[in-house]
Amino acid sequence: MKTIHRTLTALLAAALVVAPGLSAAKTLKIGSLSPLTGPYAADGNDIRHGVETAIALWEAKGGVPGYDKIEYYPQDSACDGKQAVSAANKLANLGVIGVVGAYCSSATIPASDVLNEARVPVLTPASTNEKVTERGFKYMFRVCGRDDDQAKVVAKFLSQQLKVKSIALVDDKTTYTAGLAKNIKKFLKGTGIKVVAHEHVNQGDKDFSGVLTKIKATRPDVLYMSLYNPEGNLMAIQARRLGLKAVLMTEDAVYHPNYLKIAKKAAEGTFLTYGQPPSEDIPEVAAFINAYSAKYGQPGSYSAYAYDAANVLLSAVAKVGADDPAKLAEAIRATRMQGASKFIQFDGKGDSGSTYKVMVVRDGKFVPYWDPDTGKLY
Amino acid sequence: METFLQQMVNGLTLGAVYALIALGYTMVYGIIQLINFAHGEIFAAGGYIGVITLSFLQSRGVLEAHPTLGLVLAFALAMVYCAFLAVALERMAYRPLRDASRLSLLLSALGMSIFFSNGMMLCQGVYDKAYPIQLYSTGQFTVGGAVVSYIQVYIFVGALILMIGLNLFVNRTRLGKAMRATAQDKVMSALLGINANRTITITFVIGSVLAAAAGVMVGLYYGSVRFDMGFIPGIKAFAAAVLGGIGNLTGAVLGGMIIGMVEVFAAGYLASEYKDVFAFIILILVLYFRPTGIMGEQVDDTRV
Amino acid sequence: MRKELVKFAVVMLWAFGLLFPMLGAQIGFETFTFEWSRLVRVMGFVAVAYGALAAQRAVSAHRKRGHRDPGPGLAERVPPLWGWGILAAVALAFPWFADNYARDVAINVLIYVALGLGLNIVVGLAGLLDLGYIAFYAVGAYTYALLNTHFGVPFWLALPIGCVISAGAGAFIGYPTLKMRGDYLAIVTLGFGEIIRIVLNNWDRVTEGPNGILGIKAPGLYYPKLTEAGLTLGHVYLKNLTCLYYIALVIAVVTIIGVYRLDHSRVGRAWVSIREDETAAELTGIDTLRMKLLAYMLGAIFAGLAGAFYAAKVRYVNPSSFVFLESALVLCIVVLGGMGSIPGIILAAAAIIVLPEVFRDLELYRMLAFGGAMTLMMVYRPEGLIPARRRRLELHAREAFAEEEGNA
Repeated sequence: MKTIHRTLTALLAAALVVAPGLSAAKTLKIGSLSPLTGPYAADGNDIRHGVETAIALWEAKGGVPGYDKIEYYPQDSACDGKQAVSAANKLANLGVIGVVGAYCSSATIPASDVLNEARVPVLTPASTNEKVTERGFKYMFRVCGRDDDQAKVVAKFLSQQLKVKSIALVDDKTTYTAGLAKNIKKFLKGTGIKVVAHEHVNQGDKDFSGVLTKIKATRPDVLYMSLYNPEGNLMAIQARRLGLKAVLMTEDAVYHPNYLKIAKKAAEGTFLTYGQPPSEDIPEVAAFINAYSAKYGQPGSYSAYAYDAANVLLSAVAKVGADDPAKLAEAIRATRMQGASKFIQFDGKGDSGSTYKVMVVRDGKFVPYWDPDTGKLY
Repeated sequence: METFLQQMVNGLTLGAVYALIALGYTMVYGIIQLINFAHGEIFAAGGYIGVITLSFLQSRGVLEAHPTLGLVLAFALAMVYCAFLAVALERMAYRPLRDASRLSLLLSALGMSIFFSNGMMLCQGVYDKAYPIQLYSTGQFTVGGAVVSYIQVYIFVGALILMIGLNLFVNRTRLGKAMRATAQDKVMSALLGINANRTITITFVIGSVLAAAAGVMVGLYYGSVRFDMGFIPGIKAFAAAVLGGIGNLTGAVLGGMIIGMVEVFAAGYLASEYKDVFAFIILILVLYFRPTGIMGEQVDDTRV
Repeated sequence: MRKELVKFAVVMLWAFGLLFPMLGAQIGFETFTFEWSRLVRVMGFVAVAYGALAAQRAVSAHRKRGHRDPGPGLAERVPPLWGWGILAAVALAFPWFADNYARDVAINVLIYVALGLGLNIVVGLAGLLDLGYIAFYAVGAYTYALLNTHFGVPFWLALPIGCVISAGAGAFIGYPTLKMRGDYLAIVTLGFGEIIRIVLNNWDRVTEGPNGILGIKAPGLYYPKLTEAGLTLGHVYLKNLTCLYYIALVIAVVTIIGVYRLDHSRVGRAWVSIREDETAAELTGIDTLRMKLLAYMLGAIFAGLAGAFYAAKVRYVNPSSFVFLESALVLCIVVLGGMGSIPGIILAAAAIIVLPEVFRDLELYRMLAFGGAMTLMMVYRPEGLIPARRRRLELHAREAFAEEEGNA
């Protein structure tokens, strides 16, 4: 027994002597928060895959200068404040230098509170709640757009390009969709387009026949579905089945290959707003799509945002290192780069602005349709 | 008027979906007084087997040529699969707890519900799976301006036929009598030579076969399945079964229809975001005035 | 042995039949491929798991043949005062040895201890199945959130107000359910829980709907301070996790003492008699309706307490924290703890909150493991980790009686 004890002590001492030498081999730890289980798991895993793609590409290029390897800690936030806070504390303890996440604003807000105090930069790929960046946090950044930016483009498109008379709005009472619908309503004022219905459904619903029948009776020209992916797919099918003739329009959360697969013919002609058309002309976009789809299939709605968030973080580390969080945050804020989702450029609050384009579903594919900056068709 | 008629059609379809799930719920409850939370997951598993079968046939080019055969096969395989799943579930999570308190059993069921829905997520991925045929789900006709799809008719008629068939089965056959005997008094029926364990397993199997059929129908109707599709309908079906008087087959169908109707009309004429609130308020009101549900007779004096 | 092998073969075949379509089939967009590798791996896992369970069963069967003692609970093996003393010492010293993550998890455990004990009044003592308990937690949390953000009410003042409002909600929900029994009660309480969550999510003008309420203040503390102007009162917000831990500890201890006193009072005995036989209880002169209502209200008070603290700790509330699964978790704590057993519920709360954190590194498999663990715990310890002494006597009354007769 005693010999064992002695051997162990010796080993421990040896380890202590060797340890400083080992630590010269530096690992870069980054984390992410997204709902990996539960009803939002689809988008949550898209986010994880986006970050993994970014890391893989960096490693293929030889890694981040000054570090030997990148360790990635994806955490399940389950869209719940309690779990998100636990996960954020765990990440802070692990000593991650930055976090991509979270997905739901209900997780991002409390988690970033913890991480901001721990001086860990947080880059959310999906939380569009205005309050996320309006708390004066130095370490909070948003890679996706804000509700008001997207709503402006929608209003402009409807009034200048489609020139419709009436619109019906449906949202599913989540922070993002409800905010978007409210903003669209605001920007439609004065354009002469009448909002004939504004209905709410619940996330997780499958049957929208009641709401859609009600909307059908108001005879709108456009049905705007401010929904997430599964509900958007279902509503498109059910709207067409009920014989609703209105033009369908929806937002970037429905921009997902599944919309085409599931809604099939019902999806034809749907207009969507998205950060940037997946144009192969832009090398950054092509690199992302190739790397992502080789491993995980077609990218989902939030994959590109998460990929960009991880890229912003890693390039900032490559520039100034990760030893001083304040410097790192400054470097992130100073980022000017072409990403896979859009051109990224943060303002003082940590918002990255947005460049929404209008897409259309044609022959089972998302096709660029209209550019709000020029007001012209592609 | 046209809108009203359309809402009726919508309500009856949604109600029939709930009724189909509630039938299985109420049967299982009737025999071992278990709120089987995992019932919704069995329903989802049925939907998945349907989509797997149809996708397989499509990839082999059989579906285009023989769509009817494909559908029959999808239903049959889903039912068989869920029967086996139900036996496994019963053996693993419920039989060891036959003599334990009912709350332990309830939580065991809840644990299985979480386990199965996450298991399906891990097996088949987090994304919705599309049903490959829209053929049967898009054919439709109009009645007085209301659009009716054939699949809606199938779901509605299916629920009615199954209800009548089950009633006959439970009341007329030997096995059905054994079920009722076991439900009333396990010890006494065992003394009379009824194998309680076997009867309970058979009840589970029948309930799960119904859930599987409902899963495929719902998949066809909504065009996709998803790993967590069973949870909310499971709770609604539970509410429907209780509303109709738990343990009563006709009551389950009636309860399902009422919940479906309330939801659709609340969404159509009041506020859609509060439709579940209206459904639960109706439930609470009915139970306040009739504490054992609409068709329930005996006062349930069992305790947790 | 042969019988065992046959059984093993049947189980493996069965598992194969169930897993083969689900795991093997890979459906793409109009494509279908079959993947064997994952199936083989999972089947291997099933075989190992089955082997382990079978071995465990064989060992326990062997042991059972030795002595037929149902096995004393942990509570009897540890001298009660000793046990509590150690527990108190550990609880007091904990934050000084832990990092922030552990502190955060420990706070959650304490919140769920309070919730579990509160629900224990309703389920464990009065025998009323409640599947919507988290609603009272939500009421407590929103009460503090609204009072604080709109009127600047401090935490310590909001605490009693939150309790009163939660108790009101308990009475409001309890009243229509008084006549119902068993599982009818279960669905109605579940319905109420959902109603409260949906209303919180949709009543934008008051609750800000899905956005939740931001900017809630942490609990504050006044302390005497010596300045040039003489002795004045300073004020700090206790945002620090160590401070919050001690507040949570106080709340949990208050709950423990409260529930212990209630359990051993006239009211507690009245509840138990209602649980055992409502008709008989009524005949002995217990006002069953009033007692049941009281159980709901008292249970709600503890949830309100925990809820207000939760809002103060996270400083943000949002309806998505109050879903049905949370109610189920709390119920699981009560049942796993042993229905009415205070040390059992403390242990179970720790297990239920720490388990998902332990499973955190399993990432996607986290909830799968949790669901499986929940069923396993129920199957292997249906009477709970530490069954309440009174309850165990009830469960094993017949055996105890038979033993006494044998001794005589």
